[in-house]
Amino acid sequence: MKPLHTPPAATPPKTCADARRRYGRRDFLKSAVQAAALCGAAAVTGCDPGQIQSGQIGLQWQEYFKKNYRLMTPLEKEATVRRLEQLAKLQRGIDIQIGTTEPVKEVLFGYAFNLTRCEGFMECVQACVRENNLDRASKTQYIRIFEMEPGQMSPESGNGQYFHEVPVDNHFYMGIQCFHCQNAPCVKACPTKATWMEPDGIVVVDYDWCIGCRYCMAACPYWGRRFNFNEPHVPEEEITRKQHYLGNRLRTRGMMEKCTFCIQRSRDGKLPACVAACPTGARIFGNLLDPDSEIRFVLKHKKVFRLKEDLGTDPKFWFFID
Amino acid sequence: MKKQPSSLRLYIALTLLLIVLPGSAIKVYCGQQGVQAIITQAGRSVSAAPAADAAGGLPANLVQVHATHNGQPFWTETRKDKVRRFKCSQCHDNSTVTAENAAAVAHGDMVLEHGGAQKPLTCFTCHKEDQRDFFETQKGVVIDMDHVDELCGQCHFRQKRDWIGGAHGKRVGNWAGRRVVANCTACHDPHSPLFKKRWPATYALPLDKP
Repeated sequence: MKPLHTPPAATPPKTCADARRRYGRRDFLKSAVQAAALCGAAAVTGCDPGQIQSGQIGLQWQEYFKKNYRLMTPLEKEATVRRLEQLAKLQRGIDIQIGTTEPVKEVLFGYAFNLTRCEGFMECVQACVRENNLDRASKTQYIRIFEMEPGQMSPESGNGQYFHEVPVDNHFYMGIQCFHCQNAPCVKACPTKATWMEPDGIVVVDYDWCIGCRYCMAACPYWGRRFNFNEPHVPEEEITRKQHYLGNRLRTRGMMEKCTFCIQRSRDGKLPACVAACPTGARIFGNLLDPDSEIRFVLKHKKVFRLKEDLGTDPKFWFFID
Repeated sequence: MKKQPSSLRLYIALTLLLIVLPGSAIKVYCGQQGVQAIITQAGRSVSAAPAADAAGGLPANLVQVHATHNGQPFWTETRKDKVRRFKCSQCHDNSTVTAENAAAVAHGDMVLEHGGAQKPLTCFTCHKEDQRDFFETQKGVVIDMDHVDELCGQCHFRQKRDWIGGAHGKRVGNWAGRRVVANCTACHDPHSPLFKKRWPATYALPLDKP
């Protein structure tokens, strides 16, 4: 009987075809392309000997050929995180810690916003920008606060660019951000599967798989996504060093980003930065599966509504009034 | 006799179809209930608590609130250690206080704007006159300064009910594990409890979309 699998021969490969047979077509092509491109990259960057010596080009190259985050094994996740930390050290000279904390079991994150209590101080916006390393140059903000007149229900009719002493009498304030829809249209729109919903309900982006087509931005009915049209600029001393692969790690040009409920904080049990910063207690965050949680109390005892509920997006973000 | 097996097969196929079609329809319908259905089906969840407690970040000096939510205890930050010059009885010992520049030394900066024009509060609406280290409710119950919610809650009972459940006020530290909330006076100045008007912390650039 013929064996199903023959072990590789011990003799060295004589020809290309021989080598291809031994290592397998994919491995062979990969190494060949890698070698060629390494030379190419060195040529393009002007053969900077410092970069080659420090291994920066090699690291960048390995980064370029990594998998989608969801297909990575724990070892591969660990490897890419170490590479990103090394690259940050080489390129920016800063020490960062990138985590890949997995979702906690039996947790589904939910968020509630108290329209009666919000006074429009925008401290949540500031805390969010600092925590999530948002671009200071284009003033990217995940959270938007709208000043609304009584009776208005949609932020489209509110004033999102107010700058005066708040609260103004007879107005209320409505904050919107990514609502982390259970039936998210942005996830369906993505052509490269670079965005998805995690088991704990957080809709995340794999920045390295995003091709920057902005289909998700067009699909989102809540204006929840932000795009880096230019290279984001964060002052070095203000970079949040504790990061998460799917959260606040440093982005580059052409990447889509959005609120992640501060995944680097919430998966460690902490409250998101906006909730922690809110001076009026208008923001409530917790586990929807825990009957004793604050968010469940709000859903049970308060008058809640969700924005554009008729679209069937099923957001996990409720507005309520006292 | 030859026809029977095929008609039997047809019968079985039709029956299966009748079971499978409505079944799958129900499944699709249930799937559309989304997060509401997930919430109603959820039981008791405990797994997140240890992870959150391990994260730390809880303030020191906690005191357990006398009230409970769903039978679960919760904690709040102490108050007495944050009041400057506590104990009050160091000066207010039931004798006449005589100090030079008393207004500057003691409570001259205090503005009492609580209760509105119709029902203005005075010092002794809350403070116990003969025991200055304590509060006293309208019914004469003496209250420790660390349990200020029991004093505020006698008028603001709706806010207190929401505070116990978690809809009013602010959780401190972690979203799971040991529940620690800010007490009333952490956010509100008890002598003039309304938030003051001020400039926002930042501003938003005009975008093409609202």
